[in-house]
Amino acid sequence: MNWRTAWKLARRGLDWRFKGLRLLLACLILGTAALSAIGTLTGAIERELRARGRDMLGGDVEFALAGRPANAAESRAMAALGTVSEGVRLQAMAQAPGRAAATPVELKAVDPRWPLYGTFSLQGGPAAAPKGMTAWIAPGVADRLGVKPGDALQIGAARLTVGGVIASEPDRLGEGFALGPTVIVSREALTASGLVRAGSMARWKYRIRVPQTAQPQAVADGFTARFPDGGFGVRTRDKASPGLDRFVSRMGQFLTLVALAALSIAGIGIGNGVASYLEARRESIATLKILGATSGDVARVFLLQLACASALAIAIGLAVGVSVTPLLGHALAVETGLVIDGGALALAAIYGALIAMTFAAPPLLRARQTPAMALMRARVAGAAWNRRGAALAVAAGLAGIAGLAVITAPQKLLAAGFLGGAAALFGVLWLVGWGLTKAATRWPAPRDPVWRMALGNLHRPGAQTGALVLALGFALSAFVLLAAVETSLDANIARSVPARAPDYFVLDLPREKAGDFRALVNRVAPGATIRTVPALRGTITAFGPAERMTRVADLIQIPDDAWALKGDRGLTYAETLPEGNALTAGQWWPAGYAGPPLVSVDEKLAQALGLKLGDRITITLLGVERSATIASFRRIDWDTFGFNYVLVFSPNALADAPHNLAATIELPARAKRPAVARALLSGLVRALPSSSVIEVGPVLSQARDILVQMGTAVLAAASVAVLAGMAVLAGAIAAAREARRYDSAVLRVLGASRGQVLGVMLAEYGLLCGALALLALGLGSAVGWAVVTQLFDFEWLPGWTAIGAVLAVGVSLVMALALAGSAAVLRTRPAQVLREL
Amino acid sequence: MPWPLKVCQFRVVTRPCIIDARALTLSLGTGDGRVEILRGVSLQVAAGETLALLGPSGSGKSSLLAVLAGLERASGGTLRVAGQDFTAMSEDSLALARRGRIGIVLQAFHLLPTMTALENVATPLELAGESSALARAEAELVAVGLGHRLHHYPAQLSGGEQQRVAIARALAPAPAILFADEPTGNLDHATGEAVANLLFERTKNAGAALVMVTHDEALAHRCGRIVRLADGEIVADAPA
Repeated sequence: MNWRTAWKLARRGLDWRFKGLRLLLACLILGTAALSAIGTLTGAIERELRARGRDMLGGDVEFALAGRPANAAESRAMAALGTVSEGVRLQAMAQAPGRAAATPVELKAVDPRWPLYGTFSLQGGPAAAPKGMTAWIAPGVADRLGVKPGDALQIGAARLTVGGVIASEPDRLGEGFALGPTVIVSREALTASGLVRAGSMARWKYRIRVPQTAQPQAVADGFTARFPDGGFGVRTRDKASPGLDRFVSRMGQFLTLVALAALSIAGIGIGNGVASYLEARRESIATLKILGATSGDVARVFLLQLACASALAIAIGLAVGVSVTPLLGHALAVETGLVIDGGALALAAIYGALIAMTFAAPPLLRARQTPAMALMRARVAGAAWNRRGAALAVAAGLAGIAGLAVITAPQKLLAAGFLGGAAALFGVLWLVGWGLTKAATRWPAPRDPVWRMALGNLHRPGAQTGALVLALGFALSAFVLLAAVETSLDANIARSVPARAPDYFVLDLPREKAGDFRALVNRVAPGATIRTVPALRGTITAFGPAERMTRVADLIQIPDDAWALKGDRGLTYAETLPEGNALTAGQWWPAGYAGPPLVSVDEKLAQALGLKLGDRITITLLGVERSATIASFRRIDWDTFGFNYVLVFSPNALADAPHNLAATIELPARAKRPAVARALLSGLVRALPSSSVIEVGPVLSQARDILVQMGTAVLAAASVAVLAGMAVLAGAIAAAREARRYDSAVLRVLGASRGQVLGVMLAEYGLLCGALALLALGLGSAVGWAVVTQLFDFEWLPGWTAIGAVLAVGVSLVMALALAGSAAVLRTRPAQVLREL
Repeated sequence: MPWPLKVCQFRVVTRPCIIDARALTLSLGTGDGRVEILRGVSLQVAAGETLALLGPSGSGKSSLLAVLAGLERASGGTLRVAGQDFTAMSEDSLALARRGRIGIVLQAFHLLPTMTALENVATPLELAGESSALARAEAELVAVGLGHRLHHYPAQLSGGEQQRVAIARALAPAPAILFADEPTGNLDHATGEAVANLLFERTKNAGAALVMVTHDEALAHRCGRIVRLADGEIVADAPA
């Protein structure tokens, strides 16, 4: 038979309402929709990040310095690379003169070349960098101070005029986490403010537009090789926002893995769906064979029918995926609009087709290889068929899917690990299915006929135990996984608001004004807890044993936990061990210590760098290198959310460097009122015009928002997996129910009551669910742990009560599905069922 | 059709032998569950001959029919049907061998439920690559008196009509042999009578041999020869 004739027969045999193929359709639509939506969304975000990298960075390359501007040699070298735009960022306090209101802001001083790329605009139209004493203010500043264009604004010693309210700042995303709304001023205004002094927490940023032919990374590498000890933080347009890049790519990868998991679960549904479909067409297949159709002809006819249904499901899935992308984007606070990403859709379609064909292969091959007469005889005993052929086809399909997943994954090892885990899960569930069947065979027959029959149903010929264990195991594990990840994320979010956090951070507090500061705070908010520490910023440039120190500039890759090596860090010195810290090795220096400079290091950083007591650490502070010997390691309780420093020096190591203090203010409960906040901020800005204040509340809620968005994305993606699991579950139970119709009818002919027949079914599912709930708890928790701790780097804080409740709901759902399915069988008269069989 | 002329053994006939089965055995199952269904059956059928297989339930008559029609492979013995050695053929080769040479009518009709009567009859012709399949199928349905039911689905037809469609489908490719397994077993007496008339008439017109399994002595006596089976063996073979 040629393909044309096969198509003719396939078309005649296909019910265009897709009766019998709806499980395949539902599973494939769900899986393809999830994959296409996630692929489209992450693709859109990544493309946006890549395309806007230059705008976001405000240049092709950025060199950043903490606490000092570039020296003459460095400036000359930068100028030789291309057009340079120089800017300064620092925390400051803004005040509307004549009013009591004051607010912390992020002051951004720019030169006339800013922005090198992208368009800056004010509300009302595009604008250039501010000149003279004009300030462009973010809407947050306008709201909090009640100022509008034309009004005066006081920052430090500078009296500025509000020139306009910022509508769009091209390099906003590249500036990173903001500790207050932005005020953009000219370099002249910054100088007039008097805020930049030796030791102040200012960051100088040099953005460079390089010639079109130059490679930004090569330019950056050349510069840092020339000034290895300059302490420059370097970024290029390709990685304008490394944090955001990493977040998007990790989320994208996680979501893709979840979608693949959903599609794999859907694969089981597809396999079950196709098996039921072909089972229902056993007679037609036999008839075709009797009429002279070969095995190949039968395979062609049904392959075309399945391909038709799959193509339709994939098309619907892609359409659903494209239309839900904006909603998913909205949940993640990313406005994508309607995007049609050919690549992502093609990939989702290929995955869908591969999964459909892989899981449809075994039942198709089974139908193909079964002789006509055996098909008619195989109602009770399974007909013999070539399992090796099916195993080979499935293995080839799975290898294709795994290959595609690994090739297209940014983190290939992670993807391979995930697929390995999924394969192991399949293996475990298959083994459990096999083991349950065997155990049921050997178990002594219970005296109660209901339990005896239920046990028999697990192992007798034609039993659906294997398929049910796979479907139930996957679905219940998905429930547990979802609950474990969600409760852990919630607990992490809750922890992001520490039980005891200061209300304000104060930066750039001059040492000589520490007394005035304490007096002011105690006057406005009596009973407030005030803590001050010396605050310096510097860069770690070398570490290791004194005789063979490792230069950070020579490292090809910075180890994962050694984030402190990236760019400049906050540094401090202390006489005593800081609060919330615990020594884990070595000794703290004695009071009044005057020997060689010492340093105490965070134990995690020490582990990441392989540091030992007695090793040396070199830092660059205001362009000057200083070294100290490691005297101790500390464990830092980061949850205390106070001043936590990875490096704490002995006072004699740093005290001579020009620096200010940083302070935390913790208000007593009765003082946590807007009136106190207003009085405190305006008092501070008047008394300490060069200091800046960070309000902790808004910063925490910013961090919290990110976590909540992440939780939403996880929930959305995991829901797809759970939906797929439920579809599979319903399908598996429906297929098993079909196999039970005959038995139920015969039992009722023999005098069994409806209750007894129902009891057999419930007992069978009860036995299965009981065994699988425990397994799902273990499997789901293990995968959940890996996702939470390895992928998200969060703490594993599952809510076991919630997980138990979700599992109970899952088990009840299974029982309800089984019960609902049986009701139809029980309502049918036995004679009718027997006639149809 | 170009199969060699051969005089069947045991019976002197003037027509070529179209089925030549020798010492056929059929066993199903393995080990203790092994059942001997046919125990050395030898049978020759001449072209155009009509033969009834009679016997009690479990005597092996339907299994013999399945083996002769190439639906089941014999466990032992030799079988040549329409000049082809069925003994050594694979499943797929047997299916190809059936095309256009063998028609089969079963008790439960076995029409394809998703196809109309016309499509059901056209299917074997299409499988054989016949270009005018639909026209020939229509002519065949008209010949069995179902010209007005061409586009009805099996579920819309009565039992008798369904069996007439099955007969039309079996005879449409002009087979040399028609196998019928209890063709009237699912029908009431009057309808069964009408279907049987049609079956004999159409087979005779087509010049095909007819091998029919039945319980019905009266129906068996309408055939030219009756072969009786018991416990998988032929116990009598005589003209009707």
